[in-house]
Amino acid sequence: MNRTLGRVVALLLLGALLIAAPHLLSSYYRSLVLALLADVALAVAWAFFSGPTRYLSLATGAFFGLGAYLTAMVGARLAWPLPVVAGAGAAAAMALVVGLLALRLRGPYFAVFTFGLAELAKHALIWYEMRVTGTVGRLLLAPPGPIALYYSVLALAALCVTTAVLLRRSSWGFALTVIGADEERAQTLGIDSTRVKVGTFALSAAFMGAVGAAMAPRWTYVDPQVFNPLVSFQTVIMALIGGTATVLGPVVGALFLGLASEILLLRFRYLYMLALGLALIAVVLVFPGGLSSFAVRLRGRDTSRPLA
Amino acid sequence: MRATLWAEIAVSGLITGGIYALVALGLNLQYGLMRVLNVAHGEFLMLGAYVTYSLHSAWGMNPLLTLLVTGPAAFAVGLVLHRLLYARALEGGSPEVLEGRSLLISFGLLFTLQNAALLAWSADLKGYEYLSSPLRIAGAVLPANRLVAASVALGLGLAFYAFLRSSMTGKAIRALMQETDGARLIGINVPRVHAACFGVGIAMSAVTGSLISMLFELTPFMGLPYTVTALVVVILGGLGNVLGSIAGALLLGLVETAAVYLTSSDIRVIASYAVLSLILVLRPAGLFGHK
Repeated sequence: MNRTLGRVVALLLLGALLIAAPHLLSSYYRSLVLALLADVALAVAWAFFSGPTRYLSLATGAFFGLGAYLTAMVGARLAWPLPVVAGAGAAAAMALVVGLLALRLRGPYFAVFTFGLAELAKHALIWYEMRVTGTVGRLLLAPPGPIALYYSVLALAALCVTTAVLLRRSSWGFALTVIGADEERAQTLGIDSTRVKVGTFALSAAFMGAVGAAMAPRWTYVDPQVFNPLVSFQTVIMALIGGTATVLGPVVGALFLGLASEILLLRFRYLYMLALGLALIAVVLVFPGGLSSFAVRLRGRDTSRPLA
Repeated sequence: MRATLWAEIAVSGLITGGIYALVALGLNLQYGLMRVLNVAHGEFLMLGAYVTYSLHSAWGMNPLLTLLVTGPAAFAVGLVLHRLLYARALEGGSPEVLEGRSLLISFGLLFTLQNAALLAWSADLKGYEYLSSPLRIAGAVLPANRLVAASVALGLGLAFYAFLRSSMTGKAIRALMQETDGARLIGINVPRVHAACFGVGIAMSAVTGSLISMLFELTPFMGLPYTVTALVVVILGGLGNVLGSIAGALLLGLVETAAVYLTSSDIRVIASYAVLSLILVLRPAGLFGHK
């Protein structure tokens, strides 16, 4: 009883702090918190699909890029939150198609397929822009102000974490876990695995597209390189470093790696990405359950309980 | 005029295919034997190319002779990587979990190697001239180095095929490709064959890189497209099928060259990813239809 109360108080405090933050912080720190919130949303969205189902998706960069590029193309013609909604819708639609196509693929084929599709989308877009429209990128005209952007991303991150928590507690979330454990058995038990899988994949993609759309105005210029495989990998590593057994895991992983990338990526780009590769190998070999499961194991607590 | 065009496509396509064959064979050896889908395969090609470039430009070493350096060195690196990373990753768990795990490790390796190369050689294009005098074959004109590179690659691929067919070790490898448990029962040392084949696979990739360095300018990003190509070839030719890989590579080389000649060069990347996605969707049963 007391613990629940403590958690509610802590959450309310955190919420109040995050809402007040843009008015208290300098523009540098505001944009740092903004980037971290976006990372949290991406990692949590990735983990609520790929965690329980074990379908390793490398399409995050494609969904994120689709949202961002859409904002750059139509953003000036729509009132502010609408590009975010459009980004979410477009990414979800793409995920439905990809999901239905990739449905029968298991294990690494799904990963390779999603990775290939992201690259295909990028190169097709580059080709289209050069051949048909004659541009290689787009300027963002009249972007919304930084405070509006901050609250959009904050709302997305909060919505994403809430969705992940609710999903874990629902029968839909349980169905996802059963599919991850043994898909044939799940079908025998009467779970419509296609609907559950593709539906959740699309939901997760919607968040990724929305985050891409909301982050695009940070750059004044967007080109097809925004379909960046680094986004896909960074998201996977964030979620895995944190551990996908809980909702808190990806959040912690995103904060940790997000801070590291913010500090190191611009100054030591190659060294940072090299370390990222080593981190991925280390996580897979040494902490298959992620850092959060490692911490929980140290304290001798059950890993299967959601910590949200 | 028409005939010259087709002759050019045929010669150039077969040459491209000959180079693809050796990379694909290396990947097939890793994937066919131990289910390690090594997406960092092309990075070893990139490293081989850079080592040859460095040896040639620093000490004037003959690029073809550098194969004697890059091949054995890559084999040793392969043995070490297998022991440190994959042998541990492939312990315990269902095949699906293990394949996912080794895929993640390969992606980590890809990032590590690519950025190590960026640190060592920078992102600027690097290249040198070797045997670039033109040669005329069947009406098609092309630089001599392309013919040399493709012949050496194809020759090595066929030599490996002969080795699999005739030697005892080759028989053990073929037995392992068909039936792991059966091979273990008749006393084949599975971990040792796995390690050796992983090393040979990496060496094939690095040696191809050494050959390619004579033809194209080098960038640290050149590896991944070859990985994708090798994946397509392995899917086309069949898992664990050596002759299939060679035939598939030649076929892909011809089709790709024809597509580039008949349309434009920027279609190549799109086409290779499209073919990869298409094949994955159409042949989902472990790609090769055998479980």
